Order: sequence, then structure tokens, then C-alpha cells
Amino acid sequence: MKFDPALALHSLSAMLHGLLVTIALAALVVALGLAISIPLAVARNSQRPVLAWPAAAYVIFFRGTPAMILLFLVYFGFGQVFGARDGLLGALFSNAFLCAVIGFTLNHSSYVTEIVRGGLLAVPKGLEEAAAALGIEPRDVFLRIRLPLAIRYGLKAYQNEVILFTKATAVVSVITVVDLTAVANNIFYDTYDPFTPLLTAAAFYWVLVNVIRFGLARFDGWLNVHLVADEQRDRVVMVRADGAVPRPIATAGISEAAE
Amino acid sequence: MSAAPLASEAERPVAVAIRNVDKWFGNFQALKQIDLDVHKGEKIVICGPSGSGKSTLIRCINRLEKHDSGRIVVNGIEVSDSARAILDVRREVGMVFQQFNLFPHLTILENCMLAPRLALSLPRPKAEALAMRYLARVHVAEQAGKYPAQLSGGQQQRVAVARALCMEPRIMLFDEPTSSLDPELIKEVLEVMEELAADGITMLCVTHEMGFARRVADRCAFMDRGEIVEIAPARRFFDAPNSPRLQAFLSQILH
Repeated sequence: MKFDPALALHSLSAMLHGLLVTIALAALVVALGLAISIPLAVARNSQRPVLAWPAAAYVIFFRGTPAMILLFLVYFGFGQVFGARDGLLGALFSNAFLCAVIGFTLNHSSYVTEIVRGGLLAVPKGLEEAAAALGIEPRDVFLRIRLPLAIRYGLKAYQNEVILFTKATAVVSVITVVDLTAVANNIFYDTYDPFTPLLTAAAFYWVLVNVIRFGLARFDGWLNVHLVADEQRDRVVMVRADGAVPRPIATAGISEAAE
Repeated sequence: MSAAPLASEAERPVAVAIRNVDKWFGNFQALKQIDLDVHKGEKIVICGPSGSGKSTLIRCINRLEKHDSGRIVVNGIEVSDSARAILDVRREVGMVFQQFNLFPHLTILENCMLAPRLALSLPRPKAEALAMRYLARVHVAEQAGKYPAQLSGGQQQRVAVARALCMEPRIMLFDEPTSSLDPELIKEVLEVMEELAADGITMLCVTHEMGFARRVADRCAFMDRGEIVEIAPARRFFDAPNSPRLQAFLSQILH
């Protein structure tokens, strides 16, 4: 029962292939989830029951169902329910990878919808009123003020959801997709060594998750430059309290140039 | 800047005509049969206790609140359910809020450029020149590259004035513009508003700054429980109030 570096090295290319499947799956679902959840969140916040109720039903159903059961339902169930054994639909539902994308998207998008919705609700009403009072059309008020701020408010929660979801893709082997975990399991069955392949897979997951975390943190920093600027002002005030010479941020360069 | 004689006011065209306006919030009647004509270039200050309907009244003018009955006509445009009419009215009318409401994720310059770019389709260089002109007018041009959170409250409110002016409105609404400012920052905002008043823009201002009202207002209106109880030229409003309710109110705030 110990880590076998030779086996790890030997299985590296198979593992990388599994990792690529995991990344492709996660990337597709994250992209689709984002595309679906923004309109869904808007519908869920709508005053009109025709829009709000179906969106609420979607979230309640797919958030309440385990991802693994959704995968089973899509892969084994949809083909029969819709009688789609031939033609385009038949081809779609017999492809395990596409079924995995659909099943995970239903689950992931219901979580992201709630994150986007929370962000939209957190935007102060006064900002929308100010934009409306300036004669900006409702569509532009949403796209330029409400949504950009909602994204900033929701990004930390979104980062959590993307990381949780990426790791949750490990159950995808139940419908025969060979992802990183499935490759590790196969090596375990072949070699009777559980530690080496699973620890190697865990290392790959760790790296993947931290790349995502780092990327989203950079995005967060870029979006929230106005908050960083605010902290800088606080720092200037602190310096002033110490008795040092205060220097306004924006004019610092100008006054230096003048001297 | 002193109050013009009422006779000449009446001859000027009407900028905002309010007729028999009612507004309900559920079972609470916020506005009761309001009648008010604001003439072009006139400065009107509205005061009254909180909950008296002052803010609701000016928010009905640019349709941030929907009046339930009666008519409001702004420079010939009837405020109605028509989305087109609402946009047209909002382009005639600028507004400054108690809470400044600057867009926190945009710089001062971008705050001022947004509406001209989107609503007037101005190209970037023109919108930027316009924004810089009005930022200079309210004496915050040197802050253009900063974000709202980096400015003091008084500076933020002056930016909010500039942002509204960038749409070149003919009427300005002020909803308690100095009520959330520290005492030492109120003056700089009032000075900007006085400069604006001197330039001849039509102004409706909800405020408790009675010194400002005396200096700037042509007429002052006192609202209580959804009604305009008394409206009179500023001098008479303060020195010879008619109604007991206004007398009581003035004695409360002019200790």
C-alpha cells in the first residue's frame, strides 16, 4: 500500500486523456449553464407569472435532483420517453458524452440561476432609477448597470459552484463516459493498486480546480478595480493619521511632474 | 437671483403642468388632488414633514412613480404609460437624488458619458468633451478618472448634478440633495445649485435648506399629508405664512 511512481508515470498519458474529457465536459457545461441561467434568472425575477413560475419550477426540480440520477434519466430514460431511437434525437441520446453535458447542464444551471438572481436582487434600486431618470432605455439599464453589478456581487458564489461542479463531474462514469476518475478506476482494476491512480487523479483535480480559482480571482480583481481603488484611498487616509504628508492618488503623478 | 414678480411668472410658458394628481400606495393616499404649474425658468422649493408626499410628487414628474389619476404635462409631453413618452419626458428632465446613486463600477467620467452615449448616441469624443465641460462646471473635473467611492459625499453629489446636466435637460428635479451630506459638505453642493439656478434652468427642489430657499426660490410650496397646503413667493412664504400648519412647521425648523 504505497505510492508507485513508476505506475504513475506509466499511466500519465491515459490520465491526461481522462483529464481532457473532464475539462471538455466541465467547460461545455459551464458555458451552457451561464447562457441558460441569465435569462432564467431574469424570468424568475419577473413580475409576470407566465415567466416566473416555469423558471421557479425548473430551479426547484433540477436543483433538488442529484446529478447522478439526472445522468441516468437522460442517458437511459429520455430515448424511451421521447421514442427517439432513430434519427438525430436517437444519435443524441445514444452519445454518453452529450447526455452527460445535458444532465449536468440541467443541474448546474439551476444553481447558477439562483446565484445570478441573488446578484440581480442585490443591485440597489436607486441605481436603476438614476439610470432610468437619465433617459436610458430599460434594456440598456439592465445590460450596463444591473447585470454588470450582479456579476460582481455573485462572482464569489459562482466560483464556489464552478469548483464544486467540476469535481462533481467525477460521477460521469456511471453512464460510460471515461473521464479522469474513470481512467483512475480502470488502472486500479488492472493493477490492484488503488492509491497510485487515485492520488494521481486527485493531484490533477487539485491543479484543475486551482487554475479555475486563480482565473476567476483574476477576473474578480479586474472587475472590481473600483473597490481596490477605494482601499487605496483608505490607505492614504491612514498615512495621514500617522502624520505623514498626504498625497491625493489621481494628482500624485501630476504634482510630481510639476516639481 | 431674487424672486421675480409673480405677474411676469404667469406670462411665461408652463414647463410642468400638474392637474388633479392623485397617487396611492396601497391604502395610503400619498398625493391628494395636486395642482401645480411650474413656469419656464422658475425655481420652486418644496418642503414639508417626512411622508408628506414631496418626493412622490417630483418622482411622478419623470415617471419614477406612476400617478393614479390626473394629468402631468412636461414641456408639452403628457406623462403616460407610453414608453416613448416616458423616455421623451426623461430627456427633458434631469434628476438628482438624496443618495447620489452614482454607478459604482464606472469612473466619474464614464458615469457622465453613459447616458449621452446610449440615449443620444453621441460618439465617444463628443460625449467625453460634454462630460468634461459639465464636470468642470461643478468643479470636479480633476476627479474624472476616479471611481465614486474615492470621492467625498459632496463631490459625489456634484458629479450627480453634472451627470444629469450632460443630457442638457431643461428642467432639473432635486430630491433632498443635501440630506445625506455631512454639514461641512452641504455648502459646496448648494453653491453649485445656486450657480445652476442663476443660469435660468427650471428647478423643482425638495429640500429643508431654508437659506437656499430664501436665496433661490421664486416660490416655495409647503406640503403636508399629500396636499400642497400653501404655495407663495419665497418672501411671503417665510415672513407671512397664512396657514397654521405652515406656521407650526416653520417655527419647528427655523428655531
